[in-house]
Amino acid sequence: MTAPLVRVRDLSGGYRAGADALTGVGFEAGPGEVVAVLGPNGGGKSTLFRALLGELPHRRGAVELAGRPAYVPQTERARLDFPVSALDVALMGAYGRTPWFRRLARDDRAAARAALARVGLEAQSGERFGELSGGQRQRVLIARALVQDAPVLLLDEPLSGVDAPSAARIEALFEELRGEGRALLVATHDARQARAWQRVLCLNRAQVAFGAPAEVLTGKVLQATYGGELVVLADGSTAVAVEHHEH
Amino acid sequence: MLDTFSASYMQRALLEIGLLAVLAGVLGAWIVLRRLAFFTHSVGTAAFPGLVVAAAWGIAPQLAALGAALGFAGLRERLARGREAEEDAATGILLVAALALGALLASDVYRSGAGVDRLLFGTLIGLSDRDIALTAAAVALVGLAQAALRRAWLARAFDPEGVGALGVAVAWPERALLAAVAAAVIVALAAVGALLVSVVLVVPAATVRLLARDVRTLQLGTGALAAVEGIVALLLADGLNVAPGPAMAVLGGAVFGLVAVAAR
Repeated sequence: MTAPLVRVRDLSGGYRAGADALTGVGFEAGPGEVVAVLGPNGGGKSTLFRALLGELPHRRGAVELAGRPAYVPQTERARLDFPVSALDVALMGAYGRTPWFRRLARDDRAAARAALARVGLEAQSGERFGELSGGQRQRVLIARALVQDAPVLLLDEPLSGVDAPSAARIEALFEELRGEGRALLVATHDARQARAWQRVLCLNRAQVAFGAPAEVLTGKVLQATYGGELVVLADGSTAVAVEHHEH
Repeated sequence: MLDTFSASYMQRALLEIGLLAVLAGVLGAWIVLRRLAFFTHSVGTAAFPGLVVAAAWGIAPQLAALGAALGFAGLRERLARGREAEEDAATGILLVAALALGALLASDVYRSGAGVDRLLFGTLIGLSDRDIALTAAAVALVGLAQAALRRAWLARAFDPEGVGALGVAVAWPERALLAAVAAAVIVALAAVGALLVSVVLVVPAATVRLLARDVRTLQLGTGALAAVEGIVALLLADGLNVAPGPAMAVLGGAVFGLVAVAAR
């Protein structure tokens, strides 16, 4: 059996001592698995990612990772007036492996261009990041993660509010990355989308459920995860009504 | 015009403008990108009481300014950490306190008289060789810091939330940037005074930022604009018999306004 790339046991913690934002989390993600991290705003999705990145100030439990994960933030948090091009942003993925006294290697520049090509933005590499569409910006941030070449990618709502072509491109890319044996943790509000992936982790300040979509995505679990935000559609399926994410 | 610059004090002023323009170009860009304009202004203002004491006791003003700035930084950090006040509120409270303390020391304790103007607004045409040497040293240090930390500063400024995941060091480059800004403020005090350091270190960068499409252009453009504004202010000061610092402040503000309107 292949060793998991992410293994979390009894994880709890928060931003202040004695005030846990998340409790009792335990799950695994193996090579080629996409894990949907479902939960309401404030449910602990971002806290989980901070814990996996080693940036949660107060953390208990065990986190094992196959290597440093790459993180893709929500594009709506990006500063649109910042004077950097798409290529500049993709190149940031190489910063961590470049000592401060060295220039970026030619290979890293090639890797950044290749990553932009992979997300369909080769022609936009010289364009200012803030002048791209929301979906294109999200793809640039994913390209930055690709340059990091991490075995595990943490993506914070990468499909929220992006245009249809970008969403299709991103979802296709997820499949490619799965094929390369990487593990992806994708924070999302979209329970329907989560059905297409290999695992689902439901959080509401504590772990509600973890497993295959068919086992986890039941009305009962979604009700426990989303509470009042859950909407049951006329055909009996469920959707999640999400208010604007406060930061 | 060449006549204007024939006097040695004017040549020193020109040299200082050139050095400050380099600081403005390199650091000003990071100050606006990291939103440190208020911090920059506050370090300058916090130095005011130190400058008053230094003038009265005959000690190096930069040394006293450094002491005052360190005291300010420590109190600000303490207030914000103890949650007695938000960071901006803590900065504002301490700024008012520093200005009031400086005014009290100048008017009632040391009776600094007309010297207060010089402490608040500096004098480009009254610089000593030591002032120039300190600015040159700051340029060298800031240049080295920029060469070593440019990528860390860029990644942090662009994506404060995701920079840790890039594997880029965050804490010490951040402290180095704040220290570099404080050093630049302290060496600029002699030329532009406690209240006008932003005229050199913030306003040109904020102006060029309205137009620049990349960080290199922002830095080069800011350096060039700061140099031009400094030289024009010097000429205006000489021609109109006004202080160069305030002339540069008015000029910088006007250029910013014009560029902001044109860039819309």
